[in-house]
Amino acid sequence: MIERRDEELSHIYRDAEGPRPPQRVDDNILAASQRVAGTVRRPAGFRFSRRWGTPVAIAATVLVTSTLALMVFERQSGVDTVAPPVPRADRPAKVSVPETQRAPQAEKSSPAGKSPPAEIQRAAPAGKSPVAAPPRPEKAPATPEKAPATPEKAPATPEKAPATPGPQAAPRSDKVQQHTVETALSSERRATGQPARAPAIPRGVEILRKSEEVKPAPAAASPQAPVPDAQRVFDAQQRLRAMQAPPAAGAVSEPAATLQGSGVAAPVANRLATPEAKERTPEKWIEDIRKLKTEGKASEAERELAEFKKRYPDYRLPDDLR
Amino acid sequence: MRSMRGEASDEELMLRYGRGDSRAFELLYRRHRLPLYRFLLRQLGNAESAEELFQDLWMRVVNSRGRYQPRAKFTSWIYAIAHNRLMDFYRANGRASFLSHEESQFVLEDAPAAEIAADLRLDRKRAVERLLAALGALPDAQREAFLLQQEGEMSIEEIAAATGVGPETAKSRLRYAVAKLRASLGKES
Repeated sequence: MIERRDEELSHIYRDAEGPRPPQRVDDNILAASQRVAGTVRRPAGFRFSRRWGTPVAIAATVLVTSTLALMVFERQSGVDTVAPPVPRADRPAKVSVPETQRAPQAEKSSPAGKSPPAEIQRAAPAGKSPVAAPPRPEKAPATPEKAPATPEKAPATPEKAPATPGPQAAPRSDKVQQHTVETALSSERRATGQPARAPAIPRGVEILRKSEEVKPAPAAASPQAPVPDAQRVFDAQQRLRAMQAPPAAGAVSEPAATLQGSGVAAPVANRLATPEAKERTPEKWIEDIRKLKTEGKASEAERELAEFKKRYPDYRLPDDLR
Repeated sequence: MRSMRGEASDEELMLRYGRGDSRAFELLYRRHRLPLYRFLLRQLGNAESAEELFQDLWMRVVNSRGRYQPRAKFTSWIYAIAHNRLMDFYRANGRASFLSHEESQFVLEDAPAAEIAADLRLDRKRAVERLLAALGALPDAQREAFLLQQEGEMSIEEIAAATGVGPETAKSRLRYAVAKLRASLGKES
C-alpha cells in the first residue's frame, strides 16, 4: 500500500520543475576539479625533471669523467716530474756522440769516490754543445734524489765498497748505457713523429734500478762485482726495448737503423741490434774470446776483444785477456 | 545498473578521478548535480544557501579524491556529506528542530484513504504545488528522508547510513513524511 502510494507521490514529485544550479556554480566546480586533477596528473617538478633530467645526467657524467681523467693525468704528470732527470729527446747529441768517447774520458777525469751524477753533471758542460751545457732547472731537484740513492739505499752493494775500484765505474757505465738507450729511443720517437715522452723511459729504468738497489747485495764484494751491473743494464735495455718497440717482422734491422740514425756508433748499434748481442752476455762474450784464443784464432780474438772493449768500456777484463 | 549498461559506475569514476582523470569527475558531476542541488534547495528553502552548500559539497568531493575508498555506494557517501553539511548549517543558524522528534505531532492514522485517493483527480500542476508546499512544511528529518529516497534513489538502509541513524528511525521518518504529503494532497480535494 505504502509502496504504491510512494510511486504516485514520486510521479507527482518528479513532475515538479527541477531547479538547476546556476551556470557559474557549475563552472566553478568543474574548473576547480580540473585544476586539482591537473596537479595530480603532473605534480610540481614533474615536467621539469622529465625535460631536463636526461641532459643534466649526461652533463654530470661528462663532467665527472673529464674531472677523473684530468686527475689521473695530473697524477701521472706529478709522478713524471719526480722521476729522475733524463736527457731530453731534443738533445740526443749530448749523449749519443760520446757513447764511445766520453765515457772513458769521464772515467779518467773523475776522481774515484765521487757520485756518478755529479760526474755526469760536471762532464756535461765540459763536454760538448751549448745546448747540452745549461742545466735544466725543472729537473735539477730530482738529481739529488737520485744521487744518494745508489750509495745510501744499498749500503751493502759493491758500489759502496771502497776497496774495489770496479764498483765506482759500474754505476757510471750503467748510466752512460742507460743514456744511450734512452737517447736512441727518444730519437726513434722523433723519427716516427711520436711526442717525446721522456719520463716514460727513465721511470722504467728507475724502477728497475731501485728494485735492484733494495735487494740485499749478493756475495759480490769480489772483483767480479761489476759484471752483474753490466748484466742488469743489459737486461734492462732489453726489457725497455721490448716495452717500447714490440717485436715485429723485420724488427732485427729496424733498431739498428734507429740507433745509427740517432748517432750511436755503427758497430755498437749493430751489435745492440743483432740477436747475438741480445743473447750474449759479457761473460759469454769473454768466454767466446777465450775460446778463440785457445783455438789459436788470435786475430779474431783480438778483434772480438776490441769490440768487447768498445761495447763495455768499463768492464774489468780478466787478467788473462788484458 | 550503470555498469550493466556499459557505463562506468559512480565508484569507478570517482577512483579514476582520484588518479587524475578530470573527465571522470565531469561525468560524475553531470549525473548527480541536479538531484543534489534539489535536495539541498528543498531542504534549505533558500537558493543562496543551497548554492553555497552545493559548491562546498562538491569541493569536499574534489578534495577527497585521494582518500576515497568505495566501501559503500557513491550516492550514500555523497549524500552523507550533504547531510553533514546540512547539520552544520542548521547548527550555525540555530535550527535545532532537525534533531527533535517532531513525528509525534502527526498521527499516521489521521490520513484518510478517501482523501488520498482524491489527489488523483487533482490537476497535475496544482498537485505538484501542493506537494512541494507540504514537503517544505515537513520536519527536516522527515523531508530529508523523503528527498533521499526521491533524489538519491536510496533504500531505507542507505538513508539510515547516510543520515547516521538506525534503519528503524529512517523507516519511521520516511513513513511520517509520506503520510503527511498524502494528507496534504487529499485535504485539498
